[in-house]
Amino acid sequence: MEEKQLVRLAQEGSPAAFEELVTKYQPKVFSMALSFTRNREAADDLAQEVFLKAYLALPRFHGRSEFGTWLYRISVNHIKDYLRKKGRAKEVSLDDVPEISFSDRERTEKAQLESETEARRTLVQRFVQGLPEKYRVIVTLRDIQGLAYEDISRILRLSPGTVDSRLHRARRMLRTKLAPYLTAEGGANELSQG
Amino acid sequence: MNCRKAEKLLLRSIDGRLDGSDAALLAKHLEACPDCRKAEAQYRSMFSLLKAGREAAPLPRFWERLEPRLREETELVPLLFWERWSLRAIPVFLALVVLIGGFHFFAPQARETSQSATLLIENRDLFSETQALFEADKPETRTMMLLFASMDEKSPARRPTP
Repeated sequence: MEEKQLVRLAQEGSPAAFEELVTKYQPKVFSMALSFTRNREAADDLAQEVFLKAYLALPRFHGRSEFGTWLYRISVNHIKDYLRKKGRAKEVSLDDVPEISFSDRERTEKAQLESETEARRTLVQRFVQGLPEKYRVIVTLRDIQGLAYEDISRILRLSPGTVDSRLHRARRMLRTKLAPYLTAEGGANELSQG
Repeated sequence: MNCRKAEKLLLRSIDGRLDGSDAALLAKHLEACPDCRKAEAQYRSMFSLLKAGREAAPLPRFWERLEPRLREETELVPLLFWERWSLRAIPVFLALVVLIGGFHFFAPQARETSQSATLLIENRDLFSETQALFEADKPETRTMMLLFASMDEKSPARRPTP
């Protein structure tokens, strides 16, 4: 069934139609919440609240944008509110982000590789968390969630030019901080900081 | 082209948003600039790490946990209907108000006619109605009225003192 039809049925009170929409978008909403919170339980709670909000707001959705765009807008605003309430949206200096050690040479090579990859991911996510909010949001939407520029522009209600320049600045900031941990060959350095 | 401009083009290129002429300029610059080649490698590495953060399996039984919350929070299906239709009804209601208001405002007001004017228009005697009422009284009522009238006349309290 087409998405527009599902939305219309959900607006008319069909739980089955709304369930289909939830099934389709839940991984994306959850993943977005997780990018911001880095906590699975909190991300799950946020995703539930986002869908609850969306359900209550369905009568006010007139289809002027795609349902997905509308839902992402609700998600971003809800997650930002949550972070502000939790006091975690406070901008922290990237210098405050703790570094991770990769010096555990006693593990097997495979385990060490996996561990390092995971640790690098965590490190990058921490650096993203350390960005000022407006940069963190845009990097999350584009470089983690992989949304199109046009969608980001609609979700954040920013002009495409602003999205472009803000994203450029955010990426430069991130690379500057991550440079010591990134290899010149396009992979990640084996880091032994500790 | 300087390195700053090259970095901009480089990011567009990684995003797949660089057109042919700019791509050629960038390629030429990268060939000659080891710093920008290093930057390109670092960006690619950074993006691959960022993308890895996307792969996260959600917690199970999401809908089963959500559905009762929807029901509990809302009881809402009828409410949703009401909200939906009430929003549509607002403009219709306003249009009706304007229409009815306009009709009352512009329509010529009907003249009120008094009862006597009505009787005159109908060419009827003004006192005929009262007469008819008086004549309709039963003979007993008239007898009683006369009796009370005579009692009043005999009452000393009502007689004027000489």
